[in-house]
Amino acid sequence: MLSWRSLITVLLTGQLGGAEPLPDKVEFNRDIRPILSNNCFLCHGPDKGRRKGGLRLDLEAEAKKEVLVPGKIQESELWARITSIDPDERMPPAKAKKDLKPRQIALIKKWIEQGAKYEGHWAFNPPKQPTLPKVKTQWGINPIDRFILAKLEAEGLKPSPEAAKEILVRRVTFDLTGLPPTLAEVDAFINDKSPNAYEKVVDRLLASKAYAERMTLHWMDVARYGDSSVHHADGPRTMWPWRDWVINAYDTNKSFKEFTTEQLAGDLIPNATVDQKVATGFNRNHGTTDEGGLIVEEYRVEYVVDRVKTTGNVFLGLSVECAQCHSHKYDPISQKEYYKFFAFFNNNADSGKQTRGGNAPPMVNVISKHDLAKQNAAQAKLKAVENKLSERRKNSTADFTKWTTEAAKTVDEPAKEPSGLFAHITLDEFKDRKTTDSENKGNEAKWEGNGKTVSGKFGGAFRVEGNGFVNVKGIKPPEWNQEFSYGCWVKPDAGNANGALFSKMNEGNAYRGFDLWLQQGAPGAHIINKWQDNAVKVVGKEKVKAKQWSHVFVTYDGKGKAAGTKVYINGKLVAHNVEADGLNGTIQTPRDFRIGRRFNSAQANNIEIDDVRLYNRALTPSEVAALAGNNPIAPILAIAPGKRDKKQNATLFNHYLNNIDEEYQKLTAEKRGAEAELASIGKTKITSMVMGDRSQMRPTYLLERGHYEHPDKEETIQPGVPDFLPPMPKDAPSNRLGLAQWLTLPNHPLTARVAVNRYWSLLFGRGIVKSVSDFGTQGEWPSHPALLDWLALDFVRNNWNIKGSIKQIVMSATYRQSSRLTRELYLKDPGNVLLARGPRFRLQGEFVRDNALAVSGLLVDKVGGASVKPYQPPGLWNEVSLSGNVRFRQDTGEGLYRKSMYTYWKRSAPAPSMTIFDAPTREKCMVERPRTNTPLQALVTMNDPQFVEAARHLAERIMTEGGKTIQSRVQFGYRTVTARAPKPLAGKILASAFREELENFKKDPNKAKALLGVGDSKRNETLDAAEHAAWTIVASMLLNLDEVITRL
Amino acid sequence: MNPIYENGLLQTRRELIFNTAKCLGGAALGSLMAPKVISATKPNPYGGLPGIPHFAPKAKRVIMLFNSGGPSHIDQFDFKPAMRDFHGEELPDSVRNGQRLTTMTSGQKSFPCVAPMFEFKRMGANGTWVSEILPKIGEIVDEITIIKSMHSEAINHDPAITYILTGTQQLGKPSFGSWVSYGLGSPNKNLPAYIVMISRGSGAANQALYSRLWSSGFLPSKHQGVNLRSGREPVLYLKNPDGVDRDLRRRMLDGISKINQEQFEEFGDPETQTRISQYEMAFRMQASVPELMDITSESKGIMEMYGKDSERPGSFARNCILARRMAERGVPFIHLFHRGWDHHGGLPGKIRNQCRDIDQPAAALIKDLKQRGMLDETLVICGGEFGRTIYSQGKLTKTNHGRDHHSRCFTTWVAGGGFKAGYEHGKTDDHSYNITKDPVHINDLNATLLNQLGIDHERLTYRFLGLDQRLTGVEGAKVIPQLTA
Repeated sequence: MLSWRSLITVLLTGQLGGAEPLPDKVEFNRDIRPILSNNCFLCHGPDKGRRKGGLRLDLEAEAKKEVLVPGKIQESELWARITSIDPDERMPPAKAKKDLKPRQIALIKKWIEQGAKYEGHWAFNPPKQPTLPKVKTQWGINPIDRFILAKLEAEGLKPSPEAAKEILVRRVTFDLTGLPPTLAEVDAFINDKSPNAYEKVVDRLLASKAYAERMTLHWMDVARYGDSSVHHADGPRTMWPWRDWVINAYDTNKSFKEFTTEQLAGDLIPNATVDQKVATGFNRNHGTTDEGGLIVEEYRVEYVVDRVKTTGNVFLGLSVECAQCHSHKYDPISQKEYYKFFAFFNNNADSGKQTRGGNAPPMVNVISKHDLAKQNAAQAKLKAVENKLSERRKNSTADFTKWTTEAAKTVDEPAKEPSGLFAHITLDEFKDRKTTDSENKGNEAKWEGNGKTVSGKFGGAFRVEGNGFVNVKGIKPPEWNQEFSYGCWVKPDAGNANGALFSKMNEGNAYRGFDLWLQQGAPGAHIINKWQDNAVKVVGKEKVKAKQWSHVFVTYDGKGKAAGTKVYINGKLVAHNVEADGLNGTIQTPRDFRIGRRFNSAQANNIEIDDVRLYNRALTPSEVAALAGNNPIAPILAIAPGKRDKKQNATLFNHYLNNIDEEYQKLTAEKRGAEAELASIGKTKITSMVMGDRSQMRPTYLLERGHYEHPDKEETIQPGVPDFLPPMPKDAPSNRLGLAQWLTLPNHPLTARVAVNRYWSLLFGRGIVKSVSDFGTQGEWPSHPALLDWLALDFVRNNWNIKGSIKQIVMSATYRQSSRLTRELYLKDPGNVLLARGPRFRLQGEFVRDNALAVSGLLVDKVGGASVKPYQPPGLWNEVSLSGNVRFRQDTGEGLYRKSMYTYWKRSAPAPSMTIFDAPTREKCMVERPRTNTPLQALVTMNDPQFVEAARHLAERIMTEGGKTIQSRVQFGYRTVTARAPKPLAGKILASAFREELENFKKDPNKAKALLGVGDSKRNETLDAAEHAAWTIVASMLLNLDEVITRL
Repeated sequence: MNPIYENGLLQTRRELIFNTAKCLGGAALGSLMAPKVISATKPNPYGGLPGIPHFAPKAKRVIMLFNSGGPSHIDQFDFKPAMRDFHGEELPDSVRNGQRLTTMTSGQKSFPCVAPMFEFKRMGANGTWVSEILPKIGEIVDEITIIKSMHSEAINHDPAITYILTGTQQLGKPSFGSWVSYGLGSPNKNLPAYIVMISRGSGAANQALYSRLWSSGFLPSKHQGVNLRSGREPVLYLKNPDGVDRDLRRRMLDGISKINQEQFEEFGDPETQTRISQYEMAFRMQASVPELMDITSESKGIMEMYGKDSERPGSFARNCILARRMAERGVPFIHLFHRGWDHHGGLPGKIRNQCRDIDQPAAALIKDLKQRGMLDETLVICGGEFGRTIYSQGKLTKTNHGRDHHSRCFTTWVAGGGFKAGYEHGKTDDHSYNITKDPVHINDLNATLLNQLGIDHERLTYRFLGLDQRLTGVEGAKVIPQLTA
């Protein structure tokens, strides 16, 4: 073993083999900061709580005061410590489990010798407009290439030639749309010899909906989109209107500034549209819980924490969340600054406890495209009827005048009190809980049980509560075969109240007697000899209104039929339902008359009753109307036409239109129909969860150790941004809207860089800054810092134009290079950081599946809408769900063949064919997926029915579109899946595979039949089964080729 | 293809793997400067992290028997005779001490204490209390370490189970098994390194599980747990489609492989070579998994030892036999979930059924591993995400009661892998409410388990979002040396 001392000797004399040479000029940000950040800042950095020995190495002045002497190694304590052989002295200490590598130590040495210069962390300084570097070679299309080439030249490398057209068109089509090009598109590009042929392809792709979908799919990872609520029961939710908002935003190329603002604060934009509110679903996509024992505040805080984390990771590229419990260990974010940022999101109106059964407020109603069309049609219809109605009003004057003249002749005497009143309990006054029947003063009326006296329609009234009622003695009603009427005024608390308003009924004798009652708010009457063989029961089809006085009245013509039993509300006859129809026996009972219940049952509750009247004859409609106090017509008609005032004329006219004029009434009925239709569309309305703030600001406190139970109430914290970043704009509100304005400041050092770097990583499989969501001091140094700044500034200058930025990147010669890898290139740059060749990587899981659907012709190319449930192995939800009660129900038809981005995303059990290909569960924001290569992936593409079925359909295409010969069919199949012609060997292998399997399937037709039976879709029965099966095998081989799963 | 060129690429591919692993491992790799690490930066023979094991391991693998739902520690192990005395009495405030309760019982007017409605016997050489509902476990009590002082901060299922299995209540982190797969790799290239099996309990009350509990989080997805299921397709998509037999599959793979090879020669991307080998491994898995699942070679004696339930695919007992078979085949992390331990009401009946599910098979697993000489190198852990309260949730009757969640103390037992045999660790108060001696935080146990695998939990790290993330969190989890022999 080498001794410590000899190791240092080896190191300092540069004898250790294999180490990368040191740069001539050590750069603090590139070379030194990562070493200090990773090894020293934990104890000598921004977090005061963890700081040891009062030493800070993150601040130049502090460090130079204590342990650094520029240019002088021997006098620098830092140097002494990191090279000490005394375990008590050596830094980092053994217990930190951090060890400096020889090269790192050598770098620090050189840095101190060169003056130990600090620089601010590059990403926290605003981008500077770089000058285009000088290059020696003639190469490149746009400025991007100059930056790439300059670095290649410095490293002694040359760029690769442009990729073959077939490869290029497939590459750019996948990158921009997530789909393969069709053969026609490939051929069109190959045959287009114009200089801008490639640009035409790019423009076509950027204009397609598929571009918007592809960008949205990425954003769904970033925004942790799911169709379920994550925690505990992981119940369903409806957030796809938000997802469709994103599709639309990319489709219409909304600027990144608006894209950001609407998602973070759309609800706070003055006069926010529904769409702008839906956009804020971005911060409602996080996981929520419904767990029985939860502490609401704990989770409310948790949701805020998630929003802070997501916003920080996505827009700032900072792990802001690290400062929740303590000041950030590496980046200059104090715990207090964390809570300033937290305060932007802390006024949320949504609760910590949400639901397992759908969306939780705040939410908005959203209308689907389909419903929108229906709604527009219904609205147009309504408008047309309304126009006709107003036409009719104008044109009916002559008819009206004629009617008034006629009607005036038939006017009776002014309405007077109807005759036949035999009982009248006004309920005006109670004395010692007693009141009277004003028609029979001797009859005792006594209030029993609960209840209240309240002010009524006229004078006082009785409020039925609990078990209370008024018992009236001595009332003798007519017999079943006599006319009879009764009613009262009623005011229920609720619109669907139940119970008897009054009755004289003996439940013990098959309910003999009669009552007036409310059934779900609708007045009705029982008149009974024997329930329910010998009785009449009718219930009005309309309800009385809650919290207002209504007059309810029943008349009975003594004929024992429902037809002769009429129900009135407020003097207006209402249609009724018949529930018993046939009475021909006595209705007399010894039980007392009771107000508020039957004798022992049907207790009303929270209902006010006034002015109970019983008549011994059937009152006429106009008499009932008069009782209800709403027959204003007769008195007006009695006035001479010339003397009626304006209001009286209007009353008459309206009465005429609504009751006399047939055409007007017909139109009114049509109008009601149109209104009902419109209302029914409203019933299928879809909601989407949105951000909402409480009207009264919730105070924010620093939470000690980040714990919701330990707010430091000494100080209320106001919303704000960290000090090391630019201040908020002066006029910005201190809420989420202000935050969005700050994020999109043109000179913000992070937002634009982080965004363009993300686009770059989508297209190259690796960001210019490799750590796409960490631009902090622990993040990676950019491979091309000047290029990143150039792209960021260009992005902002062009009004945050996303399509523009992406087009620029894919137009570059850098992007178009061949991805062929030589040994020299591989040894020099295995990770392709320098981009001396084109990017090449495995398709993401969704594209692997979508590719199979597209090339087989199965893909249903429909944009947006509710998520779908394609094939998945049975039992997966049941296995994990709460008490096993949420089952997966597979779709049939087009739901099986939609793009994978529309697959229902249940976050406790997401689609396995996607997670096996590295799709994240989306329980948390994920800016960049890992990319692995595993045997389980092979099992998916070989055996998943989705892929087997796709192979069958691809085989069908091969047989019907691929010409007659085996040769031409192999050619067609291969080109369809790769855009390229097969190499001779591949062609030979596939052709002989077909021949061999054809023989086998011919020998064993059952196997052919079994294979062709996989999947829901029907097969083309005109094709020979053995041949079809053999081509299915070939197609399945094609779908499993490395070249197919990879984008070259 | 020029063979020298090919060899060169493969060689550099190994360099790439090594370099990538270095990037991934970050500081975990240590450096040439620390003498003890020099030998440890050798590539890991099993495809795990270079440098691992950090030191000589005691155990090679983990079998985790996870009782999901929060089994009552009071009714199984943590019994005190004094409980009989205060049965039915109110929980003293001095015991509860203002600590938070779940909102399922925080509104309760009364908190009557409940002594277990079961007999307890002193078992084994040390007279360890074991409930009558765990008779077979009682027989092997001298083989296991019972930790009575486990504790967690989470008081509800979702956060608690996420916490114990991923080291934090925050979502998105890799599970224990994924970390082990990432760190150790696997000696068996024909089976996944991390296998999960789920069984339903007889006690009903099946709380939800989440794929995040065996997810690889930010680690590459090849480390995610593979759910092995009962039924015709134990691993998802394992079966060839109808009409495709193994010979045909072989012929297809040969064809694909040749075309891929041609592709590799044209573009030289090492990923193409990897893909070829992954397809071969998939093919091998199609044979090795059914072989693993086929228990016809198990003797009658073994089946009887694990109990009658072992005849039933998908049962906990069957999964225990399978776990042993996986252990024999070198699978480093075997994770059984048994559901149904959430007994807010009707506890006496339900827990009796649950214990019947696990008692015999779990005890048999220990005996079986021992008789095969594998217990020493296998860690077997049995426990849940938290325990349950001494007080009754809902009404206490003569024969019935419930218990709410309790995370201030609960019991987990561990066997093998260098843990002490016949040892009780930690003490709780008479109410089994607070820990009075030797607390073991769930992350401390995880750190100790990793330690037995030869892994320094502070050096099993992965750089994500600017932090060297690890299983045991940032709160200073520690290895508990008293637990191990």
